[in-house]
Amino acid sequence: MIDERDKIIIGLIQGDLPLQKKPFAKMAESIGMTESEFLERIRALKASGVIRRFGATLRHQEAGFSSNAMVAWIVPDDRIEEVGKAMAEFREVTHCYQRRPQKDWKYNLFTMVHGDDKDACYQVAKRMSEATGMDEYILLFSEKEFKKTSMAYF
Amino acid sequence: MDDSDRAIINEIQSDFPITERPFQELATRLQLSEDEILERVKRLKEEGVIRRIGGNFNSKKLNFTSTLCAARVPEQKLAKFVETVNRYPGVTHNYLRNHGYNVWFTFIAENMAYIDNALNEISAATGVGEIRNLPAVRMFKIKVDFEV
Repeated sequence: MIDERDKIIIGLIQGDLPLQKKPFAKMAESIGMTESEFLERIRALKASGVIRRFGATLRHQEAGFSSNAMVAWIVPDDRIEEVGKAMAEFREVTHCYQRRPQKDWKYNLFTMVHGDDKDACYQVAKRMSEATGMDEYILLFSEKEFKKTSMAYF
Repeated sequence: MDDSDRAIINEIQSDFPITERPFQELATRLQLSEDEILERVKRLKEEGVIRRIGGNFNSKKLNFTSTLCAARVPEQKLAKFVETVNRYPGVTHNYLRNHGYNVWFTFIAENMAYIDNALNEISAATGVGEIRNLPAVRMFKIKVDFEV
């Protein structure tokens, strides 16, 4: 369980680390906490999985990933576990979720595929289709980014 | 970007040191100086390669819930819709995509009732009725670092 002091820390590290030699000391000082408590608590939050990852978040396009596609699949319920796990094994797949279909949206498995260009994404999707036997799928490319930010929890 | 930039980026996405002198530790790992690593990270941020350095959280473990929403938005309502949706702090990603369901956004909040209520507000304010709330039933993979 996280306590109020953890929440104060999360309020800081959900933002951006100051780029200086002792960044954690700087952040700890700003909330009147010792550097050692600050570091200990971050390590504990990481160990318990509250922090999924601590590090740099990239802007993919500038880092050389020019294309990403949301590939949505129609998978029969009795095969979802097997297919979900098989698709998650693909190196190019960064996210794989089962979602409940709704009304005229029939696709129930979502995979985020990264590639050098659109064609590369289509090829990955084709290999995923061949590996699993799932052939009802569509690729949705992002045509415009309206918002991309990190959640401010506290 | 040169090889040292790539090495730094690959190292600090998941394994940023939680230590007093993190850039000093990176310097040891990558056989560069602390000053050089700091300078390079600053430049990569200025160039926009690195968006931020910090924590990424399991929202569930913070007692938050998250979902993906898809909306069918006619061209003439698009600007108003995007402006309305983006005003919610829990909307963290929002994209135009090539489908009848053309606007896709993620929404994080303390509970699903808040999100359902927000979607109703958005519909009322924009006249866009078809907004689908597609919460995850099961997560098979989430990987957030990229080798460059």
